[in-house]
Amino acid sequence: MARTKGYPEALEKKLADTRLYEDERHPEFTKTVEKISMTIPHMCYQCGTCTASCPSAPRSSYRIRKFVRRGLLGLEDEALTDPDLWLCTTCYSCTDRCPRDIAPTDVIMAMRNLAFKRDIIPVNFLKTVQAIYTTGHGVPNNDVNRAARKKLGLPADPPTTHGFPKYVKGIQYILDYFELKKNADRIVKEREG
Amino acid sequence: MREYAFFLGCIAPNRYPGAESASYKTAEKLGIKLLDLEGASCCPAPGAFGSIDLNVWYAMAARNLVLAEQMKKDIALICNGCYKSIWEVNHKLKHHKELREGVNEVLKGIDMEFKGTIDVWHLAELFYDPAIVGVQKIRDSVKVPLTGTRIAVHYGCHLMKPRKERHFGTTEHPTWMEEMVAALGAEPVEYRNKMLCCGAGGGVRGYDLVHSLDITNEKMINLMEAKVDALTEVCPFCQLQFDRGQIEIQEKFGVSYNLPVLHYCELLGLAQGMTPQELALDLHGISCEPFLKKVL
Ligand code: SF4
Ligand code: SF4
Repeated sequence: MARTKGYPEALEKKLADTRLYEDERHPEFTKTVEKISMTIPHMCYQCGTCTASCPSAPRSSYRIRKFVRRGLLGLEDEALTDPDLWLCTTCYSCTDRCPRDIAPTDVIMAMRNLAFKRDIIPVNFLKTVQAIYTTGHGVPNNDVNRAARKKLGLPADPPTTHGFPKYVKGIQYILDYFELKKNADRIVKEREG
Repeated sequence: MREYAFFLGCIAPNRYPGAESASYKTAEKLGIKLLDLEGASCCPAPGAFGSIDLNVWYAMAARNLVLAEQMKKDIALICNGCYKSIWEVNHKLKHHKELREGVNEVLKGIDMEFKGTIDVWHLAELFYDPAIVGVQKIRDSVKVPLTGTRIAVHYGCHLMKPRKERHFGTTEHPTWMEEMVAALGAEPVEYRNKMLCCGAGGGVRGYDLVHSLDITNEKMINLMEAKVDALTEVCPFCQLQFDRGQIEIQEKFGVSYNLPVLHYCELLGLAQGMTPQELALDLHGISCEPFLKKVL
């Protein structure tokens, strides 16, 4: 499959340049990634088992081994601004096979967390947040489904936050505690107007 | 009768209610009563929430866990994605003091506290466990054997992986679900690269649908080569990706497979004598008719 997404030009140039610049390294990035992910990218010996196990690798330029390397070298900008960061399906095949007992999947999750702190995040992730803030569900009920549920002898709305909306308040409290809804609304608005 | 708090998640109750309905009924026939877990929410979606901020993911999943702690019941659920959130956060919070304290600091604001008093199970593992149900009891509960059908299994990712944190043994070539399929009278069928992901997880389905469908398509090609009559799984999100995904594959890639995709609880429901209407199979994107014709 041909890639459908073009890299930003600046990033393309940067990726074409394979030299390592000392001033692009942020040792604290390695530490933060290790803390959030609770795994050890600095133990990676670049065998490539992870990339070879990865369902996203054969159909894109996403290379999990490269991200682990960036974690190890502290190449923060390169890791967080690469759109391939969002192509991991979190299948954990790499994690199950890594001979160094690293969890590359969790390295990706940690990097995504750090990217979000810089507002780098695809909007579809934020729309899930918005849906849950309103209803408690990422995939909410609808009228066709309500009718089908009734036919099955189930309540039209399941006994979740749908059936008991008073519980949505607790969810909103948690999301507001982390200012997630506010940030989601702001970023979606900036991107989509 | 063993009782569990039934954590529904989103996609089963809101897209495939037949899978929910089948879970209550099939479990009951096997000595498991599934109780309402009032006020539960999205697990929350591990790909979306975990990617944004793991601390939010921990806190949101913990709220669901506390609801079950208050009922003093273990949780049973029917979705691998929910298992990732609910099982894994329960496990992490039980074993990681700093995380637990952080989460409880948040939950204090809504008068809740995570205590770590319950366990979390996938209904499929309860069905397989001979101490709870076991394959023999599943076999004994069958009224309409699915004889003459060839059924492939999609295990999905988040139930059994990462292997070292879970308790299912090999993730390279498991066969326990095939045993559960054989118990229904069907012929379980192996196919190439069985453990490949459905393609939907990690937010990829929403981020780059074509990329995600291309993974699904690879699975479909491998399944068609094995000449199967149906695919079964234990994850409504995988089900959505294979079922609605086949329609999207048709639109985007111009190939159609028309392979029926059923949650194991739906399949078990059929074998225990539930009708297609009682399973709301008409809500599936891909018609189950060709498969039903073979068994009913
Ligand atoms: S499999 Fe492990 S050791 Fe090998 S390249 Fe990937 S992360 Fe590094
Ligand atoms: S978890 Fe992500 S990086 Fe690892 S094999 Fe799966 S898709 Fe690739």
